Formats: sequence, structure tokens, C-alpha cells
Amino acid sequence: MYSARRATSALPRLYSTSAPVKPSVKLIAELRKRTEGVSLTKAREALAASNNDLDAALQWLDADRVATGAAKVAKLADRVAGQGLIGVQVLSPGARLGPAGAVRAAMVELNCETDFVARNDLFGKLLSDIAHTAAYLVEPKADGTFIQSLSVDQLNDAPLLDPATSAPAHTTVEAAVRDLVTKVGEKVTLRRAVAVARDPLPHTQNHLGIRVFPYVHGTVSIPTNGTKAALSLYALKSPRLPSLIGSEEFQRDLAALERSLGRTIVGFPVTHVGNPSQPDPGAWYHQPTDMFPSKEGNTVVEELVAWAKKRGMVPEEGSDEAGLALLEFQRWSVGEALQSTEGDA
Amino acid sequence: MFKAQLPATRLITRRLYSTRVPQSLYSCARSSVRYPTPAAPAVCRTAGRSLIFARGYAEPASTKFSRAKPHLNIGTIGHVDHGKTTLTAAITKVLSEKGAASFTDYAQIDKAPEEKARGITINSAHVEYESDTRHYGHIDCPGHADYIKNMITGAAQMDGAIIVVSATDGQMPQTREHLLLARQVGIKKLVVFINKVDMIADPEMLELVDMEMRDLLGTYNFDGENTPIVMGSALAALEGRDPEIGANKIQELIKACDEWLEIPPRDLDKPFLLPIEDVFSISGRGTVATGRVERGVCNKGDAVEILGFGTKISSVLTGIEAFHKELDRGEAGDNMGALLRGIKREQLKRGQVIIAPGSMKAVKKFQAQIYVLTKDEGGRYTPFMANYTPQLFIRTADISTRLSWPEGTADAEEKMVMPGDNVEMVCTLHHDVAGEVGSRFTLREGGKTIGTGIITKVLEFA
Repeated sequence: MYSARRATSALPRLYSTSAPVKPSVKLIAELRKRTEGVSLTKAREALAASNNDLDAALQWLDADRVATGAAKVAKLADRVAGQGLIGVQVLSPGARLGPAGAVRAAMVELNCETDFVARNDLFGKLLSDIAHTAAYLVEPKADGTFIQSLSVDQLNDAPLLDPATSAPAHTTVEAAVRDLVTKVGEKVTLRRAVAVARDPLPHTQNHLGIRVFPYVHGTVSIPTNGTKAALSLYALKSPRLPSLIGSEEFQRDLAALERSLGRTIVGFPVTHVGNPSQPDPGAWYHQPTDMFPSKEGNTVVEELVAWAKKRGMVPEEGSDEAGLALLEFQRWSVGEALQSTEGDA
Repeated sequence: MFKAQLPATRLITRRLYSTRVPQSLYSCARSSVRYPTPAAPAVCRTAGRSLIFARGYAEPASTKFSRAKPHLNIGTIGHVDHGKTTLTAAITKVLSEKGAASFTDYAQIDKAPEEKARGITINSAHVEYESDTRHYGHIDCPGHADYIKNMITGAAQMDGAIIVVSATDGQMPQTREHLLLARQVGIKKLVVFINKVDMIADPEMLELVDMEMRDLLGTYNFDGENTPIVMGSALAALEGRDPEIGANKIQELIKACDEWLEIPPRDLDKPFLLPIEDVFSISGRGTVATGRVERGVCNKGDAVEILGFGTKISSVLTGIEAFHKELDRGEAGDNMGALLRGIKREQLKRGQVIIAPGSMKAVKKFQAQIYVLTKDEGGRYTPFMANYTPQLFIRTADISTRLSWPEGTADAEEKMVMPGDNVEMVCTLHHDVAGEVGSRFTLREGGKTIGTGIITKVLEFA
């Protein structure tokens, strides 16, 4: 296997006309410091090819990664990538005043071979960026579907967006994954992605709202990446909603409620959303409320009713129901068999 | 650092590995690590929920294991392609030529995928070999989580580690994670093996790998300057070619391990500790506490201290009885009765300890690394949050404890723990109990073991 690597990497040298320059060890060290994950042999080659010029060597490395990355990916193709992380990014949670009321979020699973690599920042950063990209690119569906699964191939071809910079994307998701493979030397694959997008509701429907929220468990350093995660949606309906959602306190309460609901989804064996009035052990509505810090009911639905009433969040004046309806969720854990995650409500 | 071999640990071990075949599981899970047998490498394999122990028994003709050499457990940590398994195979090959190991080839170490599948088993490979001065148990786990779980449960303890780095790649981004792991499981000293040096012609490049590794070791608080770094080719050693980078370097690596890695103190050399299991009052003689000596040695007439549950009493061992005989001396492993001077029966309780004076303190609150058992391992089905209050079993003591997150944790009131998680939490005990860093315990609730842990930091003494 190494002879193959040597053979491909020796090629560029054949084209150079001058006698090979002996790369300076100091520069090799410097090069490796500047770009994490450049192997020693590659750093050496880069300097030899670029006459010990650091900047040229960096360019050479970029070009080389494109040239040999695919070969590296192909070489690792038959390995098992069963570890990794799931990243969730919410660009806009919905149920806010005005155009901020749009819903936009995505959840993505990126796999690698060992959890050592999954714990590394390079991996975490790439995963966040891919999730961000997915959330950015998803289009609202005309048929009213909330969580839609994205094609991995399409996402791979998409330009990778880095939320930290506004600079235009200079690489695709696939190329970025390939770059990571050359750096960590493990098979890294984008396994699956889902996203949700809804335009804000028109002003005439301002008594309605939709919210999306993430829950991530088993995080390492980046709080939006973990080994188990869920992306969930619920709807709000109340004549008082326009006044409520403007309040900071309400938004805070809502966030706390979402965390409790998220813990319930990730922590308990929830299979579907269910119906508030029909008790059912697998239904989200009928899970125990152990994950709510201020327990007011025995099941999620009782808890929701109590929560909503306290804040006047009822669908109509004098109604006995909660102005809150759970809509959909998608729950994943890293490396699970895929069938188990499909087909929830 | 986490050397104590406590009855509590055994309890977990038994719990974890089903009770069907206590004897052989015990030899499988533990003996291969701590008391290696001369048998062919022990193999643990999962089959559904229970463990099957495919253990090769020693051939009648094979030699008997000698305890003459001190034992040490080392692990290999490194990138998947840098040759950990090749190195392990090479070590057994080189040493088997001297009759100090049985050659374990690549395929045996790198087991079939179904055996590697995560489950109830200790997800690791065990190999054993001997150097001139030591006996080594060699552990290789596939991932970070496996090493942590094995450290907490005590299933595959590492006293030292060999970090394997390829000379062609040098350190990689995840090498940092490897070193952090070594820190987390309490390893203080490492040996570095730079593999595949035959692929690099330029000696300056090897110097660079060496320099970079020392730098990185220093960053993670290891002794970068003095850590032995051995450069060789495991493949050459395995294939029996180029002895100057192959077999000789393997010898050098073993020698570096012998000289650099420290042997943990043996149980016998530690201060005396007897957890009280039962208390009797024998008319005409006095009060006798019974139990199994966990560590150390006691002699008749020694001053001792009784610690735990709010008491700290000094006394003198006026008699030692074991095997229905009067003895002058008791030592680690003995089931003994201790006759204590001037102690009333009411003063002693199961769960207290009898110790060499001042060798331990009673703790009330500590931070611990906890592994929460999954439901397949007999643990909880559902998650829990801070303020969960299970029973904590430490040695013979049973105390209710409140679990909370360490100070400075974000959303500490709301953070969830799920079965299967490794977490660092604070245990606040209802009563104080003798404990120290490295003491192991189990957490139980409603007759079920739900977790196992190891004390990492004492926050409050009684």
C-alpha cells in the first residue's frame, strides 16, 4: 500500500526540471505547524517541489490534496466507519415576530473509524459547517412536509458554508470531507442529513407559530455536536401568541420547555408523536416527565397543558387544552442501524 | 493510580460478566490482566447478552506461570494505520524466540468484526509476554470510550502505554486525543514507538518526528524530554528481516518499558486495610470484626484505626484469626477475624474499615468518573439528571449518595445522563466512608447495579 502512495506522490517531482532541492527540516516543521494534519512525507515533498518556499509549498499541498485525496478516499472505502458525531444547527427557530419567524434547521451525521478522530476539533468544525450548510440550502416543501431528508449526494456537491466567515465558499462539502480524510487518515463519510425549512407565517395568521428545536447528547467540545441528537418541531396556537412571543421571559420559558422535551425524546424510547388524548407507551405525548425539572404532571401532555395554562397559551379563550401541539421529530444516535430511525410520525 | 483491587470491583466484575461461570470468567476478565495464566490468550466474546468464555486452557506440558516477575499492564495507543497491531504481533514474535511469549499473529489480535462489536464485553484485545525483569499484560482497545469504560470498571487497567506513531505521517491531529486519553486514564509515563522508519531515508526527518513528539508530550504534561522514543519497524521485526530496525528495536522498546514505566505498588506493600463485613462479640475475649484483607499486612499487636460512619477510633489488634487458627500476621487476600482491644460491639458496623493509623481518611463528598450501565448490561432503561440518589456500595459499605455535576458545568441542573455514558460527577454521601483517589464503587438502585465509578478527587473530608 505504501508503494502505491509513493508512486503517486513521486509523480510531481518528475515534472520539475531543476535538480531536487533538499527540503529544510525547519521549514517542514513550520509547514506542519501551519496546516494541521500534513504528513511528514507530504510536507517534505511540498517543499522539495517548491524550492523551500513556504507559501508555494502551501499551494502545492492544496493542489496535492485535490489530486491525491480521491485516491486516499478510495483506498479507505472498504473500511467500517461506525463512529462519529451528529451535528444539529438551527439557523432560525421560528415563532418570533416578523420575518424572524421562519424555521430553518438541519441535522447531519458524519462518521469516522475511531472516536479519537470524532473528538478532534477538525472533525467537529467540519460537521458543524456541513450541518450549517444543510440548514442554509434546504428549500421549503410545497406539500407542507416539515422534516425532509436530504440526499447525501446533493449535499456532497453543495458549497461548504462556514458560519464564522462571510467569505464565499471555496470548496464543496465532498472536497472538505476529502481534505479531512487526508489529514486524519481515516475513512470519513457523510452518512445522512435531514433539514427543515418553513417560511414565516403571514401576518393574518399571527396567532399561530411553529418552532424547531435541537437536542444534543454526548457532546465533546462543540455543544451542537454529539453522539445522540434529535431535531423536533411543535406548533403554537393562541390568540395571545403575538403578545407572548414578543416577551423575553416567554422566549426563555419556551427554551427551557424545549430542553425538557428534547431530553425526553433523546432519553426515552419514543417512537412517534402520538395523540394527546390516547394513552400509548411509545408516544411522545405520553412519556413520563422525569426530564422536566419542575414536574407538574405525570405525562408530557399533562405537563404541556399545565405549562400552557400558566402562561395563558390556550387555543381559544376559556379553552381547557394547551395551545401547543407536538408535530414531528427525528432522533438519531451515531452508528445505529438505519432502519430504526425511519418512519416516525 | 487506580490500582486498588477492591471487593467492590469484583462485585461489578461479577455483575458485568454474569454469574454463570464465575471461576472462568474471573480468570478471563481479570487474570489475563492482573494474574496472567500461562494459557493461550484468553478470549472474551459476546453472544447476545451473556458472555462466553472461550479460554484456551494450558496444555499439560506447558510451563507453569511464575509470579517471580512483577506484573504491569501496558496498552498501545495510536492511529489505526500506524501499526499498533503489527507492533503487538512483533513483540510477541521477538519475545517468543526467547521463550518469553507465545507468538500471537496479526489475525488473532485483530479479531473478527463480530467480536469487536461493542457490547457488554470489555472491548479489547489481551496479549501477554515477559521481558527479562517483568511480566506484561498488553491491552489494545479500539476507541476512547472503550479505554475509559475499562479504566472505570477496572476490567483492563493500563499502568503505562506505548504510543505508536508512523514515521511517514508523524503525529496526526488525533495524536492529541490519544495523549489526552492517556492522561484521563491516569497514565503518568509513556514510551513512544516511531514505526515504519524503513520508509524514511533522511535521518533529519526522523529527528523531526522525535522533536515534534517530545514537544507534544510536553504540551500534555508528560515528561517530553526524558520519555524514551524508540524508532524501528514492527513489520521488519514481524517478517524477521533487517534486525537493526526490526527485532533489535523491539528489544530496545521492551527494555525502555522495563526501565521507564513504573510498577504500581503491589497490594501487599500498601498500608493495611480490612473492610468490616461482620462483627461478633465473643464472651471472654472481646469484639471481633471479620472481613477480607484488601491490602497490606497486619501483625498481632499493631495499632489500628477504625474509620467510617462518623467514627474514628484507635485500637490495637490483640488477635488475628484465620482458617480457624490463631495467627500472628494477616495479609492481603486473607479472610480474617480481628480481635480489637477495648472496642464494644456497638461501636463497629459493617462498612467501616480497619486500617493502619492515618493511612486513609473518611470522605463525605468526592468527584468520580462514573460509567452508567446500559440496560443490556443490567442497568437502567431511562436517563437521569442531577440530584439522582442511588445507593453507593464501596467495599462493604452501603450509603445513599446524591449525584450532581461538578461546579462550572453548563446547565448543571438540567444535564441528562443516559445509560452507556461515561461521566464525571460529584457524589455527596449521606454518611462518611473511608475513601481515597482510586477507590472503586458501584451504584445500585432497587436491587440493580446501575453504574460503577472510581474516585478521582476528594472534595470534602468528614
